[in-house]
Amino acid sequence: MDTAHHMLRTGRRGPLFEAQMALRDLRASGERLDLAWSLAWHDVVSRYRGSILGPLWITLSMGVMVLGIGVLWGGLFRVPIHSFIPFVAVGIVFFGVVTSTINEGCDTFVQAAGMLSQTSLPMFTFVWRTVLRNLINLGHHVAIVAAVLIYGDLWTHANYAGALLGVAFMVANVSWVSMLVAVISARFRDIPQAVQSVTQAAAIMTPVFWLPDRIPPDYHWILDFNPFYHLLEAVRAPLLGTTVPPHTYSILAAMAAGGWAAAFWLFARTRRRIVHYL
Amino acid sequence: MKAPPVSISCRDLSLRFPVYGVDAKSLKKYVAKITVGGKLDRHHGATEVTALSHLNLELKAGDRLGLIGHNGSGKTTLLRALSGAYEPDDGAIEVEGRIAALLDLNLGIDPTATGYDNIRLRGRIAGLTSREIDARMDEIAEFSGLGPFLAMPVKTYSAGMQARLAFAAATAVEADVLLMDEWIAVGDAEFQKLAHRRLLKLVERAGILVLASHDLGLVRLYCNKVMRLEGGVASPVTDIKKLDELLAA
Repeated sequence: MDTAHHMLRTGRRGPLFEAQMALRDLRASGERLDLAWSLAWHDVVSRYRGSILGPLWITLSMGVMVLGIGVLWGGLFRVPIHSFIPFVAVGIVFFGVVTSTINEGCDTFVQAAGMLSQTSLPMFTFVWRTVLRNLINLGHHVAIVAAVLIYGDLWTHANYAGALLGVAFMVANVSWVSMLVAVISARFRDIPQAVQSVTQAAAIMTPVFWLPDRIPPDYHWILDFNPFYHLLEAVRAPLLGTTVPPHTYSILAAMAAGGWAAAFWLFARTRRRIVHYL
Repeated sequence: MKAPPVSISCRDLSLRFPVYGVDAKSLKKYVAKITVGGKLDRHHGATEVTALSHLNLELKAGDRLGLIGHNGSGKTTLLRALSGAYEPDDGAIEVEGRIAALLDLNLGIDPTATGYDNIRLRGRIAGLTSREIDARMDEIAEFSGLGPFLAMPVKTYSAGMQARLAFAAATAVEADVLLMDEWIAVGDAEFQKLAHRRLLKLVERAGILVLASHDLGLVRLYCNKVMRLEGGVASPVTDIKKLDELLAA
């Protein structure tokens, strides 16, 4: 189904043509961003249908986790809970957005198989659906972030503009990863498991639950070469009033540019075939 | 009704399905002599099914084409290609006009959501705005005949009720080009009569109808032209009056 009045589909006409078609898909998805939003909203609502607290569960379960981990880890590492809880809470919230957008990206096209096989909806619409769904969930967590910033007396000197910039970098990066794994997972069904093990390993290797300044200097490369660390720190540091590590912004910008180029190239090459993978 | 240009044009259209994770050799011995399905082939090391080959088709406003043929002869594939979901491997498809593909009644139906929510979702997928959907809601609700059940989750519906809901929602869109697969026989006798009337109206409003069906009675009822597909190869488009000759050929 389509509101377009003219549709032309042709066979392959070389890489440049394929890239143009892929670009047209991207543009069409931009024009129908409201559809992606409706689908994302529907996903969030339907997950909690039949529950009493509804989407508040997202906030509540996150809150319980933050409290538990904050108290336990604070005790284990002998750091003051007052400063550790905001650190771990902000970390869990934003790292959660990164990992779940990537993990759920694996299902993007598989889940949309029915719609893709009988409509000419842009494929990017479903990528935005996954990204927007996770941003809606993030919207719920803002309450937690606000609560811990007030609890830790950080809310007066947090750099909110810097945090927003960090979120923008985060979205720019996780969306291409989400797109990339969506295409590959449609073709090879063992990719979701592989992606999950990577994001799980990242949760341990990235200072979400531990303080980055505890790392010995000779192990500092674990942070420097960890893309998740830069993604997280670009948002967390401004909120907690610490400084963003040097090079983080340039690394994130380079990652976004290189990643989008790679994801778009793959999409242009496989666009015709994705519906047949499903 | 004002008449914007409405047309369908397929020029030398070929469509091949890659089949992943299948050893073509083990398949080939079985498929060599059967009439069902398209032609199997190896292409660049992957198994491929030629679902449509070198198909030419020109339709203009007022044409109502019936597609007939065996299971797997390419009818649904052609409809999906016309809907824009499948990209041709060779040749071109050009469609002027708003397309409505009623191929799968359950498109976008979420069983845990209420009837109303499903109508909204379906309408959004079809390209209606929330306001347009609200404006049509009463009419859709009345046509479905589901009354208070629309406020309940679709999973509580019987199969017939689900079909009513899906049909009502799917047919609420205005289109110039209507693509239909053979699911028209839905619901009980009373609803079938209603559905039939609604479809006739939709067909009148739509400039072009392409209907795939095994039911020749249905094809005679709705269509004025007919095309037969066999293993992805199409017969010329013929007048419905010559249906018997086409079948004999």
